[in-house]
Amino acid sequence: MNRKSLINLISVSLSVIVTLLIIFILLLILNKDPFLIFSKIFSEVFADGYGIGQTLFKATPLIFVSCGLAVCFHASIFNIGAEGQLNAGAFVTALVALKLDFLPFPLLITVSLICGFIISGIFGLIPAYIKIKKDVSEVITTIMMNFIILALVNFFLLDFFAVKSTMRTEKISANFMFLKMEDVIPFFQGSSLNISFLLALLLAFLMYMFIYKTGFGYKLRSVGFNEIASRYLGIRTNAVIMISFFIGAGITSLAGMNYIFGYKGFYEFGFSNNIGFTAIAVTLLARNNPIGIIFSSLLFAVLDYGGLSVNQLVPKELMLVVQGIIILSLLAVDKLVNNYFRGKIVS
Amino acid sequence: MKAVEFIEVTRKFGNFKANDEISFDIKSNDVHCILGENGAGKSTLMNILFGIIKKDSGKMKIFGEEKDFKSPLDAIKNGIGMVHQHFMLIEDFTVLENVILGNEITLKTGIDFKRSELILNELVEKYSLGLDVNARISELSIGQQQKVEILKLLFRESDILIFDEPTAVLSPVETDRFFKIIGTFKNDGKTIIFITHKLNEVKYISDRVSVLRKGKLVYESDNADKDLNIPELSRAIVGELSEISNPVKRAAEINTSDAVVLENINLVLNELNVLNGLDLKLKKGEIHGICGVEGNGQSGIVDVIYGIEKNFTGSFKKYIEGGISLVPDDRKRKGFIKEYNIGENISLKGKNLNYLPEKRINEISGKIISENDIRVSDIESPMGDLSGGNQQKVIFARESDSENYVIVLVHPTRGVDINASAFIHGRILKLRNEGKAVLVISSDLDELILLSDRLSVLYKGKILKTFARKDFSGYIKEENEVELTADPDFLQSIGKLMTGITDE
Repeated sequence: MNRKSLINLISVSLSVIVTLLIIFILLLILNKDPFLIFSKIFSEVFADGYGIGQTLFKATPLIFVSCGLAVCFHASIFNIGAEGQLNAGAFVTALVALKLDFLPFPLLITVSLICGFIISGIFGLIPAYIKIKKDVSEVITTIMMNFIILALVNFFLLDFFAVKSTMRTEKISANFMFLKMEDVIPFFQGSSLNISFLLALLLAFLMYMFIYKTGFGYKLRSVGFNEIASRYLGIRTNAVIMISFFIGAGITSLAGMNYIFGYKGFYEFGFSNNIGFTAIAVTLLARNNPIGIIFSSLLFAVLDYGGLSVNQLVPKELMLVVQGIIILSLLAVDKLVNNYFRGKIVS
Repeated sequence: MKAVEFIEVTRKFGNFKANDEISFDIKSNDVHCILGENGAGKSTLMNILFGIIKKDSGKMKIFGEEKDFKSPLDAIKNGIGMVHQHFMLIEDFTVLENVILGNEITLKTGIDFKRSELILNELVEKYSLGLDVNARISELSIGQQQKVEILKLLFRESDILIFDEPTAVLSPVETDRFFKIIGTFKNDGKTIIFITHKLNEVKYISDRVSVLRKGKLVYESDNADKDLNIPELSRAIVGELSEISNPVKRAAEINTSDAVVLENINLVLNELNVLNGLDLKLKKGEIHGICGVEGNGQSGIVDVIYGIEKNFTGSFKKYIEGGISLVPDDRKRKGFIKEYNIGENISLKGKNLNYLPEKRINEISGKIISENDIRVSDIESPMGDLSGGNQQKVIFARESDSENYVIVLVHPTRGVDINASAFIHGRILKLRNEGKAVLVISSDLDELILLSDRLSVLYKGKILKTFARKDFSGYIKEENEVELTADPDFLQSIGKLMTGITDE
């Protein structure tokens, strides 16, 4: 591990600790017993295979979406539109899987995921194009695109594809469902954990290689660090931004895999439950590193699943507060840690 | 009377002593020059004086009173003003708005613009600054922007004025005008502290000089009678001249053939005529220098030749195979990725970029470091942690090591210290001797005269005149010497051309 990764690790760990301390104090102020609450959260998660399985299940879509965002963030594209992008992709994935049910299992999965990927990717290309041609910040366009995409998905779903008086599509045939982990490892008895989780781990590893070890990843990070210098260094920066946006947005569609093929068998409006936004915090906490994303996704999943158990003691919005504080303390701690280790020479 | 006294001022950054027990006085109503290479500690000392950085130990007295400024505001209140190397102006504000910002004259109903304008116009007149106080900063040239910074100091009635490399961005004519303004300041009884790299200017303008090297005061001399010993001074600044003892000589003229030919190039950007019928010929084995006041089309030439700008009219012909190398003007913005280390920055420019393993990257870094005498504590340090001179050496190495036969260099030694400058100049001559076509665009006339085989004057996007080396080589004392003096008459005629005055 080189010096820079070490410094990153220190600052990320410190900010998590700082966050926990702040929550601790916050709970004291609210006159709740922090020890009780924390121990309840952890016992809920780690008591049995079911708890662990459910936590990993919740981490799965976070890993997918965050890996997509990591690509964007490395290119300095602040994509806030994952929530919309992933819904469009997941919706199309489910539709394709329903319509092409004559295909054999692996082919059907592949084709429907690719279709979802392309749709999400195209919705990423729109803000990318506006950014390049008109110099409009992608932060604004992607936020606005969320509303547009969700409204479109809602419209097409309700008017053409939904099962009557529900917000979901038909169910795909049970033949096309993913293997549940409980069928292989009885330890996870009862949980919805499925092989999507392993695919998420594989993707995180591949994205790590892609971003840090390939020529394109190298260019992508250059553009993110300094777009003007990259252009002068002979990189086609606009092409890099378009491709990064397409890939990044496309990957978010994979979040639907866990729900559609691994859990319910259909697309349901609202399934994403704001993971498009939670993933922003996850990615930032991981410093855009896909391997780090695995761990920060797990942390957020622990808080999410364990948070259910303390619902009677504290409102579940407390977990949103945790997300917010993590980002703020990360920014503050990061600056301090970097200054401390830098010994920067000013002349 | 002493305006400023530094007594054993020390400031450390980590283990590095930027200022190491520096003690000296600056007399009131003097023009006091502070000299030293990059990283010698000049800026740190000035930042302490201006309240940007705090000192670790030692004392500082202003007009006999001990002071320890907590912020620039604190320093400004005590009559200290500073013109930074990079101007601190808001582009979309007018001159007036920029100058009064922070020191507004107010009425009950708001800012008193009328009175402010009156006061500013008086100041502009008194110091003959020739500024329109209602012009927007974005409409002004670099030289005029500097005058706005000076106007700021006058408006705040500062007594001690600090100038950080004020002439680096000025043409000879503008520099002359600037020195006249300095003269008026002196007559008004103000104290002027002047940081520069240009020794001719020091001799001309200063009353006293102090030289810093590696954070220590190493040399002081009086110059009230303008009898400064320049060779002694330059030795004090650089310590040992390791590179200059082994200079690269200009080889005899090689059989030159055309490499790149630009004919009647017109380029319009944002409704401005950047290039206006420009003709330029680069030949193999020849250094073609271009001088001119900044903003007369320099960046346009670069962007056209380098292929960044494609919407031009006219003919652009390239007679040799291969790409074009570029050392850009603004290295921090265009030259490298500061988060990447040396090897990564070098290999970034390679064709068919593929992932290079860390070991290979470090090999490349090691090679560049040893071949170019780059000072770096850790081979994996990001480029952003290197000093300006070392960054420039890396960029220069990257661009000159390639197979490319056309090399464009913009301000190759701006902000680079004397040792590194000499090193880079030697390399530029070597490229020429190898038969490459070299274009040097610079605002440093001495540098251009030292290097150029042909020297063109650029004005409003057009080449006004091109001199052959024999036109000016007679005036050069000796090539590759630290101090180089060109004939004043020649300099004057070039200076005139740079402002668009043609005698013919």
